[in-house]
Amino acid sequence: MGFVLTLLQVAVVLFLGYLLAHKAVPWIVVKLGRKLGFRMKATPITQKRIRRFKHIKRGYWSFVAITTLFVTSLFLEVLVNNRALVISYNGRMAFPAIAEWFDDVLFFTKITAFNKKSDFGQIGESEVDYRLFEKHSEDPSELRKEIEDRKSSLTADRAAHEASPPAADAKNFEKRKWEREGRKLDKRAAQIAQMEKNLAVFEAGDAWCIMPLYPYAPADLRHEINEPPPNHPSTSRAIPAGTDVSGRDLVPLMLYGFRLSLLFAILVAAVGYAIGVVVGGFQGYYGGWVDILSQRFVEIWGSIPFLFVIMILASLIQPTFGMLVIMLIVLRSWLGITYYVRGEFYREKAKDYVQAAIGAGVSDWKIITKHILPNSLVPVVTFAPFGIVAYISTLVSLDYLGFGLPPGTPSWGALLRQGLENVKFYPHLLVVPTLALAATLYCVVMIGEAVREAFDPKVFSRLR
Amino acid sequence: MHGMTSYFIRRLLLVPITFICITLLVYTVIRLAPGGPIEQAKLQMQQAMATEGGGGAAGSENLDLPQEAIDQLKAYYKLDKPIIIGYAIWLGVWPDEAKGGFSGILQGDFGTSYRFSDPVLDTIVSKFPISIYFGLIGYLLTWIVCIPLGIKKALKHRSLFDTGTSMIVFLGYSVPGFVAALVLMLLFATDLVWNIFPLGGFRSDNWDDMWAQGEYWWCIKDQVRHTIIPIIGYVMGGFATMTILMKNSLLDNLGADYVRTAFAKGLTERRVIYVHALRNSLIPICVGIGHAIGLLLAGSFLIEKTCDIPGMGLLGYNSLVGRDYPVLMGIVVIAVSLRLLGNILSDIILAVVDPRVRFS
Repeated sequence: MGFVLTLLQVAVVLFLGYLLAHKAVPWIVVKLGRKLGFRMKATPITQKRIRRFKHIKRGYWSFVAITTLFVTSLFLEVLVNNRALVISYNGRMAFPAIAEWFDDVLFFTKITAFNKKSDFGQIGESEVDYRLFEKHSEDPSELRKEIEDRKSSLTADRAAHEASPPAADAKNFEKRKWEREGRKLDKRAAQIAQMEKNLAVFEAGDAWCIMPLYPYAPADLRHEINEPPPNHPSTSRAIPAGTDVSGRDLVPLMLYGFRLSLLFAILVAAVGYAIGVVVGGFQGYYGGWVDILSQRFVEIWGSIPFLFVIMILASLIQPTFGMLVIMLIVLRSWLGITYYVRGEFYREKAKDYVQAAIGAGVSDWKIITKHILPNSLVPVVTFAPFGIVAYISTLVSLDYLGFGLPPGTPSWGALLRQGLENVKFYPHLLVVPTLALAATLYCVVMIGEAVREAFDPKVFSRLR
Repeated sequence: MHGMTSYFIRRLLLVPITFICITLLVYTVIRLAPGGPIEQAKLQMQQAMATEGGGGAAGSENLDLPQEAIDQLKAYYKLDKPIIIGYAIWLGVWPDEAKGGFSGILQGDFGTSYRFSDPVLDTIVSKFPISIYFGLIGYLLTWIVCIPLGIKKALKHRSLFDTGTSMIVFLGYSVPGFVAALVLMLLFATDLVWNIFPLGGFRSDNWDDMWAQGEYWWCIKDQVRHTIIPIIGYVMGGFATMTILMKNSLLDNLGADYVRTAFAKGLTERRVIYVHALRNSLIPICVGIGHAIGLLLAGSFLIEKTCDIPGMGLLGYNSLVGRDYPVLMGIVVIAVSLRLLGNILSDIILAVVDPRVRFS
């Protein structure tokens, strides 16, 4: 029953993700574009291409799946996290998971998601253990039992303490030690009194919290399993995908890793292609010496063994996410596209409509952006999915070799390395990330195939 | 032909410029890197002091190398010279005082490995057989599988067979080779499903002894068992590109006018396809032969690290981890030169096999 309910919740979340990715976002983009003065209506050719793309079913469904999952994964902090969505205790309310999400989205400001234990019915000043809080709020009897245990052990200790007071002629330091122990016992008594107060709140029903769908964060160690990690997957112990060598749950690792990989690849591809379009466009439009010199530069730059250079750089300084993105853009992603965009610009410039515009005295900038650019973006669109596949693979390879993101980052490559080291006894460390990686990359390749087919169809005629 | 000649001359002129740019870049990065040979020497020294046992308080205070030793090391590794001079010495266009005269890449002197004190060139050349072994088998395998498959797919364009094989081939394209090797190792080298292949290695440890004893059959079997998983990892990614290239190229030609003419004059379908169209559609495939010179370097970090094959890739990886910069530079030199030569070779081959091609 619980399983069906979880499945239902996941389905609802994914449906909301679908609505957001495929209904809300396009609608907002169109509205916003119109406000900014664009026409926001696809040309008949583009419409035809989109129709053709939708007609290629496996590519289209892969597209729907990947975009839905990606958009949903942007809200992972409120879906898969060890912090509660809402926590309420004795009239005090907080939204730690939501605060964490805002903190990640608005990265330029600091929004604190921290709540200390003493404010939320637990003992101490560190962060609330939300899962424990949930357990206590649902069933306070466990807390009551703990209090009883503590009480009985305190009474026993107290009795032992009273029974052995220092002799009158004992040394001073022995007396002080005895007093110190007494104070410790008093402290324990005060703690128990506080816990009883907390228990009253829990029992009165004034404490409740809503946990995310899967209440574990990628950095969480599953200590409660009581077995040295890595742990095999097991539904009875609530580790559906097992844990890694340090005891981190694989489910949040995989999901956060998915977001990280895709975000990385999209960033590298988008920025790199933007630079590549600008460079290629200038080469193709102006030609001459600019073209020849920059062409040679691109050729030389492209011959750099880039994986090697990134590895050398990464062995010097531990790269962060942003640094890896920049390295890959500078060394690779802007290069390939320049050839194609240059060719497109070269061809388009010779066409009558551009010559007419030049003759009418339209400025270069306007010709480039308004006339040629929209007509030469086909290679960008058709290359993007394959670029994304390549950059996800690059990130995974770098992490696998140990020259990637800092240790502790939820990354698929680092897990694959653990899989290699534990291939004999813990196959799940290999199987789980491989399945995630293969499924993602396969879907993106399918999208790429369909996009290529739709945007740049080859019509083959055969006599027989 | 005039345009062609000048084209190739221009291409050849670009080779040394590209070569110098890339090696200078890598050299600079390496020189600016912390953790170079001096730091390594200090570290070794400290470890030696620590293990010598109870150096005591007096010893631990003065763990740094004496200044003159550092200077000597610096001079030895040419770290006392500016980067550009160090690079020129390494390249062999600036006299090396230690060796008296020019001694660098241009003279064929790649330097000495920091870690093993062997000449770098020998270390690298000793890895060639393994790389060529995997490279050659990989190339042949790609051709044997992809050319017939591409032809069949082109002839059955848009059929169930075409779609089905496309899906499989694209699966191979999307999964990185080393991941595939990992999965194969899990399936066929552990007890999980079927334990028939070894978990990595180039051959068994006692291979040479067995060969000497004349157990040739055992040796061949052993070699094959060690080859299968890594070779799949090596070639899998290239399968999709090659197959689709072959297919599209043949499809292009089947729609061409000369095929129509051939049919019109009454040739059989077999003859038209396999003699007329196929010959022309193999041109793009042949161009790839130029890159076959890269066989020498066929290794990849990822596969060789995964399958523990002591080839070029693993050498590069280990010298990177161990900061063995002369070896690293040597590998970069060979990688870059082979790639540049391969590009030119491809152009030449294209010009030879396809008389329609004109470069300018």
